[in-house]
Amino acid sequence: MLLKILLSGDGGQGIQLMSDLICRAAIQRGFFVSHIPNYGLEQRGGVSLAFIQISDNEIAYPKFSKPDIAVILSPQARERVRNYESRIMNYDIGEHKDVLAKNNVSQQSYNMFFLGLLSKLLEEKNILQREKVFELLKEKLGKKPNWEENKKTWLLGIKN
Amino acid sequence: MKTDKKQFMTGAEVVVRACVDAGAKMMFGYPITPGTEILSHWIREAQVNKDLKYLQTEDEIAAGFCVCGAVLAGEKTFTATAGPGTVLMQDALSMADGMRLPVVVIIVQRGGPSSGTVIYSQQEVNLAIHGGNGEGLRLVYSPSNLTELYEYTRLAFNNAWKYNFPAVVLSDGFLMKTRQLVDLGFKIKNFSAEPIISENTQKNIRNIYTFEEELGEKLARDKKDFEKMADEVVKVVSYKVVGCEILIVAHGIVAGAAKEAVDILQSQGKKVGLFRPITLSPFSAKELNDLARQVKKIWVVESSMGQLRDLVKQNLDVSVEIDGLYKPAEGIGSDEIVKLFESF
Repeated sequence: MLLKILLSGDGGQGIQLMSDLICRAAIQRGFFVSHIPNYGLEQRGGVSLAFIQISDNEIAYPKFSKPDIAVILSPQARERVRNYESRIMNYDIGEHKDVLAKNNVSQQSYNMFFLGLLSKLLEEKNILQREKVFELLKEKLGKKPNWEENKKTWLLGIKN
Repeated sequence: MKTDKKQFMTGAEVVVRACVDAGAKMMFGYPITPGTEILSHWIREAQVNKDLKYLQTEDEIAAGFCVCGAVLAGEKTFTATAGPGTVLMQDALSMADGMRLPVVVIIVQRGGPSSGTVIYSQQEVNLAIHGGNGEGLRLVYSPSNLTELYEYTRLAFNNAWKYNFPAVVLSDGFLMKTRQLVDLGFKIKNFSAEPIISENTQKNIRNIYTFEEELGEKLARDKKDFEKMADEVVKVVSYKVVGCEILIVAHGIVAGAAKEAVDILQSQGKKVGLFRPITLSPFSAKELNDLARQVKKIWVVESSMGQLRDLVKQNLDVSVEIDGLYKPAEGIGSDEIVKLFESF
């Protein structure tokens, strides 16, 4: 088994945080994991990418051109990852605008929604346990402002 | 030496762990992407481990010469740099060549020329080996994954101090920023550092000569020592080469992708193997020539316009066709390498 996930968004949207939690949850299930961030020269406002691979075997090379799952959190990111066509699943913020608006999710918590979506999908694929992701998430953000909203949004992602 | 099991670490964290485990006590550095995290992780480590010291110098020239000075006093120390910083580092590395100083430099390749790009490249091969004025008598390791990054950083210190030649660990921004599960549970015994000049003694280690013949004789001695060291330190991996007709030559992280590609190609019945020099200097010419006699063609795969190819050509004394995939400052994945042999 080798699963390739590409996360993309604007710098500051929490792409690398999402990546960190997914990797750590997959490690708990005994998988080999590789993560490499990619961002440009900009201090802020650029596109932030995370290339994740989860496998039964050791991973030789950290990058890839064809992800199995792509997550797109901004129009700018969509433009950047146009060439990285996904094989299994595409989570694009454009397709979830209505749910996010209906539930008054603030922009700062968009990543939590997609982390929820991913947690559910990856649990179905036996790659991680959603409870583990939540545990790690709470460890990281539990004492910070907006925790309640982040938690609520993660659960919203799980339900969608 | 720690014997803890697998850990989720970045390349920069692995380098710092390796330097600490090697017994390094001091880092001199000037930050430059993608090697900055080595300095920042070292500083973080120094906050908890009071044996460790650091100095952020005004530039890479100063960092390099500080390392030259500190090793004379018997301090295990190192620096890390990248791209334009590797250019500035040549002044000190050249002095280390000339004075036979155990200077350790971690090079984190980024795109060039000049400031180029900030992430990744394999364009500092020539600089790492031959960057200074002189003969480039340096030990250069090119690791291809994080476990090797640890192992060869440890060996760089050991062999620099054992043989008194400068040692370079040639990595890149991909390797430095990648986070993987790393197994550091192997044991390497440290070679101890002794002062090259002890306190209250006088010793003149020269880096300038009056007579041409004097320098010529000194270099001939150094070359002889280097060749003697080569027999003991040269490292190479020949992967699935039995019966192969095409030989891929790659180094560093690209060799990781090439290894994956060879697995795929051989599962398709294609006779493609991999030759991977781990030490780029000294270079394993014998193994390369033995394989070159057996194959129909060599394919060099690298993220540069031919720096590895030139190294291969220098070392070949067999006539064999050479082709290549040259992508300066761009990554090369296994799928791209597999594609090269679609019609083979």
